[in-house]
Amino acid sequence: MTVLYILVPIAILLVVIAIWIFNWAVNNGQYDDLDSPAHSILFDEDDPAHLAAQRQHNDAKSKDKTPDDGSA
Amino acid sequence: MAQPTPCFHCGEPVPAGAPWHAQILGERRVMCCPGCLAVAEAICGAGLDSYYQHRTERSANPEAMPRVLQEELELYDRDDVQQRYVQNNQSNTDQPQIQLLIEGINCAACCWLIERHLRAQPGVVEASLNMGNQRLNLSWQAGKTRLSTLIASLRSIGYTAHPYEPDKAGEQIAAENRRYLRRLGLAGLMFMQVMMATMALYEEFDQDLTESMAHLLRWASLLMTTPVVFYSCAPFFQGAWRDLKNRRLSMDVSVSLAIGGAYLAGIWATVTGTGEIYFDSVTMFAFFLLAGRYLERRARQRTVESTARLVNLLPPSAVRIQPDGSSLRIMLDELQSGDTVEVKPGESIPADGRILRGNSSVDESALSGEYLPIAKRAGDAVTAGTLNVEGPLQVEITALGEHTRLSAIVRLLERAQSDKPRLAQLADQVAQYFLLAVLLSVAVVGTSWWWLSDLHTAFWIVIAMLVATCPCALSLATPTALTTATGSLHKLGMLITRGHVLEGINKVTTVILDKTGTLTEGRMTLEQIQPFAEHDAEQALHWARMLESSSEHPIARAFGRSLLSASALENTPGQGLQGDCEGQIVRIGKPDFVSALGDYPAPPYPNAPGQWLLLGNAAGPIAWFALNDRLRGDAAAMVAALQARKLRVVLLSGDQSPVVQRMAAQLNISEAIGNADPDQKLAYVQAQQARGEKVLMLGDGVNDVPVLASADISVAMGNASDLAKTNADAVLLNSRLLTLVDSLQVAKRTRAIMIENLGWASLYNLAILPLAALGMVTPAWAALGMSASSLLVVLNALRLTRVKSGAPEATTSPAVEVQA
Repeated sequence: MTVLYILVPIAILLVVIAIWIFNWAVNNGQYDDLDSPAHSILFDEDDPAHLAAQRQHNDAKSKDKTPDDGSA
Repeated sequence: MAQPTPCFHCGEPVPAGAPWHAQILGERRVMCCPGCLAVAEAICGAGLDSYYQHRTERSANPEAMPRVLQEELELYDRDDVQQRYVQNNQSNTDQPQIQLLIEGINCAACCWLIERHLRAQPGVVEASLNMGNQRLNLSWQAGKTRLSTLIASLRSIGYTAHPYEPDKAGEQIAAENRRYLRRLGLAGLMFMQVMMATMALYEEFDQDLTESMAHLLRWASLLMTTPVVFYSCAPFFQGAWRDLKNRRLSMDVSVSLAIGGAYLAGIWATVTGTGEIYFDSVTMFAFFLLAGRYLERRARQRTVESTARLVNLLPPSAVRIQPDGSSLRIMLDELQSGDTVEVKPGESIPADGRILRGNSSVDESALSGEYLPIAKRAGDAVTAGTLNVEGPLQVEITALGEHTRLSAIVRLLERAQSDKPRLAQLADQVAQYFLLAVLLSVAVVGTSWWWLSDLHTAFWIVIAMLVATCPCALSLATPTALTTATGSLHKLGMLITRGHVLEGINKVTTVILDKTGTLTEGRMTLEQIQPFAEHDAEQALHWARMLESSSEHPIARAFGRSLLSASALENTPGQGLQGDCEGQIVRIGKPDFVSALGDYPAPPYPNAPGQWLLLGNAAGPIAWFALNDRLRGDAAAMVAALQARKLRVVLLSGDQSPVVQRMAAQLNISEAIGNADPDQKLAYVQAQQARGEKVLMLGDGVNDVPVLASADISVAMGNASDLAKTNADAVLLNSRLLTLVDSLQVAKRTRAIMIENLGWASLYNLAILPLAALGMVTPAWAALGMSASSLLVVLNALRLTRVKSGAPEATTSPAVEVQA
């Protein structure tokens, strides 16, 4: 049981580290938006059609160099 | 009339034979207008079709976006303008960063679309959108792209963006949210560790610890509890101190007493090595309570940002006429009193002023609630924040910023807010009695033990009683019920933004309704066509559409879209339109104006309510068109449902009295007040409150804002002005009036659940009190009892998630009536 004399301080140290990481995450705005990440997972970004269209789009962009600003 | 196909993009009806269509998600989709088509093509061109797959709401119609000129956007590229908004990255000065406020976000798919679209633009370093407050963090490479290009590219997919100047209030809310989360996280992590350490000390588990081991575990849990008490629980102590200073007993006092007492006793037990420690209960209590309060807070704060969005009513820039006659686009804050500005049709008027040159009509609906534009000519006064509809105007500025009428309304709002009566909260009322009962019994039992036994025993009995009667379940009773009810109401379409709504709405005795935009749709619709002899209604409507198709006037929109438009169009502001329709010169507008075309006497107005327009050619009049701001389909049902609940319903409007009286009669409302300006409306509501009525106000315009602020409960319509929405206690997101009736129902159930919860929690505390008084409650039982009673309360509150909309769907609006 004497091992507890080491394990209890280690447990305290670990929880202090955990709290520090949590605070770091909060201060970096990781928890500011709790709604949209839940939805964004639904979108398939590796959808082949999407990737192809994006490539095409980028090519067209780089070709004519005038970004389509489409303002009315 | 067959039901028209809804536009694939925005859901508005598609005119028959419309040529606008695109291939989206493998099918041919029709659109209602070129605007929607352009946006849909931009979205699909970027390969972002899956937006349409995942969106849960229809997109906003791009034609409803305020018009912005390219040169106006380019102002944002000026360094001195950017300085206000842009935070330059310290490490990399070539990558400016900005916060943009985005309008038009309806669902999560919008967020995805905006982020994807921007990241695909050349030069964009990072784009991340917060759906909660609709703010976009954007950073880009200064050399590769410009801010105006990025804002324009957002417009091309149907969203309006404004640079956002971070304000104090918004920053404070964000900082406070983070502080809450840090407190909650600390309490949660510590609670688990403390529980692990103290469980070994429970005598029920019979661990047979050596004395030194017990000592170690006691010190370890004291060490871990201390930050929880001093950091996480600080708001409870502050609240308790504030309430005690005001000579009030509240839940915070009760909570602080339990936490403080158990913590101090725990220190004593740790230092002396005798007695029980209740650190596990203390940290658990703190965690449950903070979690309850955090969730309640978050449920309400979804979209609320108490930022002054008032500036949005004003254009960011204006065109100043220089002394030499040339014109220059400048930022709004560079404008000075005495300057002359040019306001094109479709632009907002930047400041109060007087018209020098030009004839037009001005849409003042945002300020006065009057839905028809008012004809203005040289010499007339115009107000900041109103919209110029027809012709270009030159305006001499007379008042700016603080001195405008718009600001006067805001000041009225601030006054109303400070006068607003507070509603007592159920939980605090109960807490008072609870606390008195606990203190009294603790005193009696403590003294008895002292007298019968000794001080040492009495002390530990008192501590055990304080921990056992710790109002954990009691203080969770109301926040959990409120959080769940807020969530359920959000699903029904009512967003609660202030905490007192759900409790206060049960006490309401009077419901005050605004007319324009609240009971009515707030826009003109075509109600009736009366063709003259030997003319056909269809033909008349066709010509009217051709004439009106290119006009921006709200009346023109009522006629619907036409694929053809008249040639040789001439607009006479305040009078009407003239054009060449299929080879004939036709006029539409005021009877005098139309009859002047053919030199025949103007026919008299039909004797019926509404706005009448005459269509005619040189040979004579063709048809009368009746336009009106139509009642919402469910207005009558809502009024009837409110009256069935024995609520007094009052119609309070700034519109002319006869119109208001007629509508009141139609809806069976016995009390109706017309011709009321914001001051009078406010006075009326305050007079009702002085008589002891609890007032619920439902409104939408800026002119309603002070009244909304002073009412006990204020509800804004979903299409209300931003100022009204941010200052209302609740927002009807779907603008469905019957949702208000549903929410009365939910509020009633919430109150019932809250009372049940409070009853159960008190019962638990009452049952455990004698056991604690007899010294039978050990730390293990205290922890078990506390978590079980809290769980019970939370589960009971979760019953509020099962809420259904009780009232029937709103009926669809009737089609145009043709009278031969």
